[in-house]
Amino acid sequence: MSGFSKAAGRLLRADALTLFGLITLVTLLFLGIFGPWLPLGDPSRIAAGPRLGAPSAQFLFGTDELGRDFMPRVVQGIRSTFLLSAIAVTITAVIGSLLGMAAGYLGRFADQAIARGADILFAFPALVAGLLVAAVMGPGQGSAITVISIATLPLFIRVVRSVTLGIAGRGFVTAAEVAGASTLRIMLVHLLPNVMGAVMVQLTYALSIGMIIESALSFLGLGVQPPDASLGSLLRQGSSYLTIAPWMVLSSGAVLSLAIMSVNLVGDAVRDALEPLKGRPLT
Amino acid sequence: MEPDVIALEDITVTYRSGFLGGTAFDALRGVSLRVKAGETVGLVGESGSGKTTLGRVCLGLLPPTQGQMRFGGAPFGKLRQRRGQLSVVLQHPEWALNPRLRCGTSVQEPLVLTGMPSSERRERVAEILGQVGLDPSFAARLPGQLSGGQRQRIAIARALVTNPRFIVFDEAVSALDVSVQAQVLNLIRDLQKRHGFGALFISHDLAATRYVSHRIAVMLRGEIVEDGPSARFYGTPEHPYSRALLGAA
Amino acid sequence: MSAPLVDIAGLVIGYDAAARQVRALDSASLQVREGETLAIVGESGSGKTTLGMAAGRLLPPEAQLLDGTITVAGVDVMQADDAALRRLRREKLGFVFQNPSTALDPTMRIGRQVALALGGQPGPEAVAALLARAELGDPERVLRAFPHELSGGMAQRVVIAMAIARAPQLLIADEPTASLDASIREKVMATLVRLRAESGASLVILSHDLRLIGRHADRVAVMYGGRIVELGAVAQVLQAPVHPYTRALLAAAAGNEVPGARLEPIQGTPPMLEGRCEACAYAPRCTFSVARCNSERPEAREVAGRLVVCHRAEEAIATGAMQPQEAR
Repeated sequence: MSGFSKAAGRLLRADALTLFGLITLVTLLFLGIFGPWLPLGDPSRIAAGPRLGAPSAQFLFGTDELGRDFMPRVVQGIRSTFLLSAIAVTITAVIGSLLGMAAGYLGRFADQAIARGADILFAFPALVAGLLVAAVMGPGQGSAITVISIATLPLFIRVVRSVTLGIAGRGFVTAAEVAGASTLRIMLVHLLPNVMGAVMVQLTYALSIGMIIESALSFLGLGVQPPDASLGSLLRQGSSYLTIAPWMVLSSGAVLSLAIMSVNLVGDAVRDALEPLKGRPLT
Repeated sequence: MEPDVIALEDITVTYRSGFLGGTAFDALRGVSLRVKAGETVGLVGESGSGKTTLGRVCLGLLPPTQGQMRFGGAPFGKLRQRRGQLSVVLQHPEWALNPRLRCGTSVQEPLVLTGMPSSERRERVAEILGQVGLDPSFAARLPGQLSGGQRQRIAIARALVTNPRFIVFDEAVSALDVSVQAQVLNLIRDLQKRHGFGALFISHDLAATRYVSHRIAVMLRGEIVEDGPSARFYGTPEHPYSRALLGAA
Repeated sequence: MSAPLVDIAGLVIGYDAAARQVRALDSASLQVREGETLAIVGESGSGKTTLGMAAGRLLPPEAQLLDGTITVAGVDVMQADDAALRRLRREKLGFVFQNPSTALDPTMRIGRQVALALGGQPGPEAVAALLARAELGDPERVLRAFPHELSGGMAQRVVIAMAIARAPQLLIADEPTASLDASIREKVMATLVRLRAESGASLVILSHDLRLIGRHADRVAVMYGGRIVELGAVAQVLQAPVHPYTRALLAAAAGNEVPGARLEPIQGTPPMLEGRCEACAYAPRCTFSVARCNSERPEAREVAGRLVVCHRAEEAIATGAMQPQEAR
């Protein structure tokens, strides 16, 4: 039986917590992706209901200070938080994997340069980077993506580099070198497919970090700009009315927590499913 | 007279640690070695003796610090100019093949690099799998479904597929069970009779080495201390270190 | 004669794999006497590692005990509660694994690891003395080293020192020298054997290296298909093997052939049992098998001074198919 179907089998036999995470994640992704086309109401329609109205059958999450229905705004927030983080992390994963493979395989100068660069990025607090980037680029989605990339790039470089170091000395890589394969060919044909598992695991962690960073930046007003909403900017909006309309902070905060937790739970399951492959054969 | 497949003349490899100078260490010191077509030269010695370094030099993976190296009478040049002319079979059957590629893809990779059209490649892969004693259906399998001996056969098929003039076997049977070792050793002997490649058989196992080799070179601390016909290693070799290895075998 | 130190009786162990169960031990029985060196030989998949690890119940979670018992120093290993099992492992057993680099904690200095193995609060002198017993030169330096700073041979000596730290009654060594250089294998093995002799413990070596076993073991058990197919004194079994599998194994090993001769590999592959084998597990590969071998499970019998699991043991001797192997 191949290792891959074993891993899939383990994933399916996962525990209730993983299942909960998976269902939550799929639901949130569905809402985020298809939100604009779902009959949830218009997130930007002012005075749809009372100002700062409490949750009711008509307005599940209540209304905000402009009388906007808060539920479609949270759905819009999921969309921008998820999408922004996912775009940033995917771009970062591609760049980080290439750099990590180059560092691990080429060694010497390339390794020194890339690994030290990753260390410097890693040592840099994400929020300080966020303030700097926002100051240079101006607040907005572009700077949010940039900050998420800066914060998660070292995660990919480090993991891919260490996995590559383990693979680069193996027989099939040496055999390809002796057969005259180019460096690019070795990286794409022999290294990339074998580091993908580690990249997938790292991707989920980076995604949750990305969502936290995006929310933090938007909370500080450096990320998504009004009238668009992200979970972070909704939290910021709600924090002004915490005592009189706590549902705004509670609903957007709960959804953000659920989103990050479900991404982490699914990430754990992916890691558990992939890692036993390193085990030794029976007897 | 046909030139040697590979000829090393007074090869030295020096490793330096630390910046600019630092401490230098000779992994190989003045090593000369020749391998003729159709000949297997065994290379034995403990780890750290430099035998793996010598193997890497012969494969063009490690440029020597000093010394001459000729391939088929001409200067060695770059590995890309030698596509299809040399290959390697290594230890660790579980690492020999890319676990994500089907065996057929692994075996035909050297042919892809020499630019053979894909229709010819498929035929050649089936042919070479037959020669290493495997059914052509193995081409469609993934390495995870194979035993250690089968993987090592696939690795040998990959090494042979371009009809190279020179093959390095680096601890190629060390990780295999006794009965499988015998199968692979016999296979190497038979294939060499058939194809006439020159081979360097690197191993710490003198018993296996003398079984497949025509000549054996014994390495100790970066130097070849004895070089003679393998029959001598069934009796009493000259160098005390060779006798010690024989005692341990 | 006193009771044996280890008594394995009809042990059946299976591994749960997806959709089926693979049987690693198919009713294995074996006794280890006090103070002897017993070698268990077999190819990968023969069940020798399962048998060795079962002595300390160190089996992976997929392993299932299906039948049989294993008693070590009076403790029923498979039924013992956690406290009794820990006490057995701590006080009676010592393990030496194939790869010393994975047996040592890479983040801890050698001195600390060895001190933990000794237990209590041993001073550096006690730790150094233990390392010196395992023939490690310059023990003070080794104490301060991390595992990656040691050569394979030195690391394995540290593992051996840790295994004998509490004077165990039973040492189990799984391919103790397979990952080491040929030139130091013999010395490491000599250390292990000397320490066994000094302590009077029993030593069980799991290996596929017939030459190594020939020099160091008192008795040898040959395993095939999860059973012990031949068991006897080393000199008898390796120089005059009876079981066709033992003979084939010896014929396949490089080292005994004359120059120019051809080795005879064993055709076919080892069996993958999914239940009790109701025939001789070796019959499909055996050049000496008859119809009976494929239909009736052979039981252990005493033939020519050793235990053999083969229907045709007597005929095998009589036909002279058995060529005494040249002793080296």
